[in-house]
Amino acid sequence: MSNLKGKVAFVGIGEVPTGRHADKAAIYHAIKSAKMAIRDAGINKDEIDYVLPTASLYSPAFNTEMVTCRVVEELGLKNCKKNVQIFSGGSSSSNALLIASTLINQGMARYVLFVHTDRLGTGVNLQQGIDLFSTAGISAEWEVPFGQHYSSIAALATTRYQYETGCTDEEMSAVCVSNRKWAELNPNAFFRKPLTIEEVMSSKMLSTPLRAKQSNMLFDGGAAFVLTSAERARDVADRPVYLLGEGGVVTHFVYSQEKDITRYGWAEAGKTAFEQAGLTPKDIDVAEIYDSYPVYQIIGLEELGFCERGEAGKLFLNGDTWPGGKLPCTTNGGMLSQGHTGAGGAVALMVEAVRQLMGKAGERQVKDARFAVETATGGTYMDSQVTILGTEIP
Amino acid sequence: MTQRPKPVPVVNPWARPFWDAAMEDRLTFQKCKDCGANIFYPRIACTECFSDNLDWVNASGKGTIYSYTVVENNSPTAFLGDCPYVVAIVRLDEGPQMLTNIINCDPYSIQCDMPVKVVFEQLNEEFKLPKFQPI
Ligand SMILES: [Zn+2]
Repeated sequence: MSNLKGKVAFVGIGEVPTGRHADKAAIYHAIKSAKMAIRDAGINKDEIDYVLPTASLYSPAFNTEMVTCRVVEELGLKNCKKNVQIFSGGSSSSNALLIASTLINQGMARYVLFVHTDRLGTGVNLQQGIDLFSTAGISAEWEVPFGQHYSSIAALATTRYQYETGCTDEEMSAVCVSNRKWAELNPNAFFRKPLTIEEVMSSKMLSTPLRAKQSNMLFDGGAAFVLTSAERARDVADRPVYLLGEGGVVTHFVYSQEKDITRYGWAEAGKTAFEQAGLTPKDIDVAEIYDSYPVYQIIGLEELGFCERGEAGKLFLNGDTWPGGKLPCTTNGGMLSQGHTGAGGAVALMVEAVRQLMGKAGERQVKDARFAVETATGGTYMDSQVTILGTEIP
Repeated sequence: MTQRPKPVPVVNPWARPFWDAAMEDRLTFQKCKDCGANIFYPRIACTECFSDNLDWVNASGKGTIYSYTVVENNSPTAFLGDCPYVVAIVRLDEGPQMLTNIINCDPYSIQCDMPVKVVFEQLNEEFKLPKFQPI
């Protein structure tokens, strides 16, 4: 990967507001986001030669349309060579970025469009959503028969993490408050009203110690980005955002086989990514850390080396991660406040990292942001994917 | 509201001996005859040395709770009537980890690293599930 450092850049991003859009078809979010990203890149749509849609979970029939080139036809792309779905659950954007970057660096692709859409807010009801996520990526032989689902999985991680580190319920809840403070400034976020620790800690218990307001909710949404070579990027974009480093570790399929549910593969993936980029956590201006539940955001920050183990909760509590803090974290509000859109949770985080570095984050813009780290994970936290982006090549 | 039937294990053929043993109240795992690795869940080949030479052995049935949660609300539909129920990862004394339920105790008395032993619960005519209770 070291030969990819600084060779590929983001030149355009697009995103529709996360929410409940009963009147809009899933393809609408894909086309709207893709059009925004292509406009943002300032290129002609017909320059796109590769389209990499990721999966939509709410409807297998609609997903088949994404596989069979609907986006290419709807956008009227005249010179598209390949439409290939890239899907690894929540880490799809990271894996698509690496694959697209390789194709671009090899001269195979010129402009790659990655696009995500889903309708988990209005395409399925709440209980269908819970049932979908009690089987998706959860072993039908070894876990489903015991009532395992995503809340219980996050709760298992939270229980053990708190047992080993002494992290308090208050610190865990502070993650939700921190993310909400960012979401208040994000017009694309669903939850934008101020949130207090007391509200989080008095919300309905789901699976001990995990409460309702510590749980993401599923919504409709879409996002897209356009990648090209660093050379072309400098011609078309004012402020290209370069891929600087990347690392990944796959740790499990069946959640209960994970050897350390309080760490996963983040330390090794982070080390690889930072070494490739030639940076350390101290150089990072914005940390877009995958949340979905507070414990994963805490573990992510710690394992990447932003603080000692057991200390991240304090950063969320004391305001270091809030707007204006010294370690801006998950600045779109994350899945906890912007909303969870299936494979789109980390697409939104990647788009947000790029947005911050391009200086297009509006009210929540982190001043002079040059370097960002973004994390993503799929399934039941089966893999740890770390991406480092920057506006300069160190 | 009628409760949806409980999901039954979708059995991989090579794991059949595990479920047959469970019907006889025996907890089993695979042991590699070449490298000695203790393996759970059942695999086609050894996860350490890739050998096909795998044996079935009886577990002691004892282990400790690695982590647990009491599911109170928003469970999968088939489990709504069971709330509160305990989902836990147990580490067997022989090494392998497995997902299970902790039963026959106050769910709120459970702690990490608590010792437990296996107890089989009838799911239907075809399956018994290995669950655990505090020792
Ligand atoms: Zn072996």
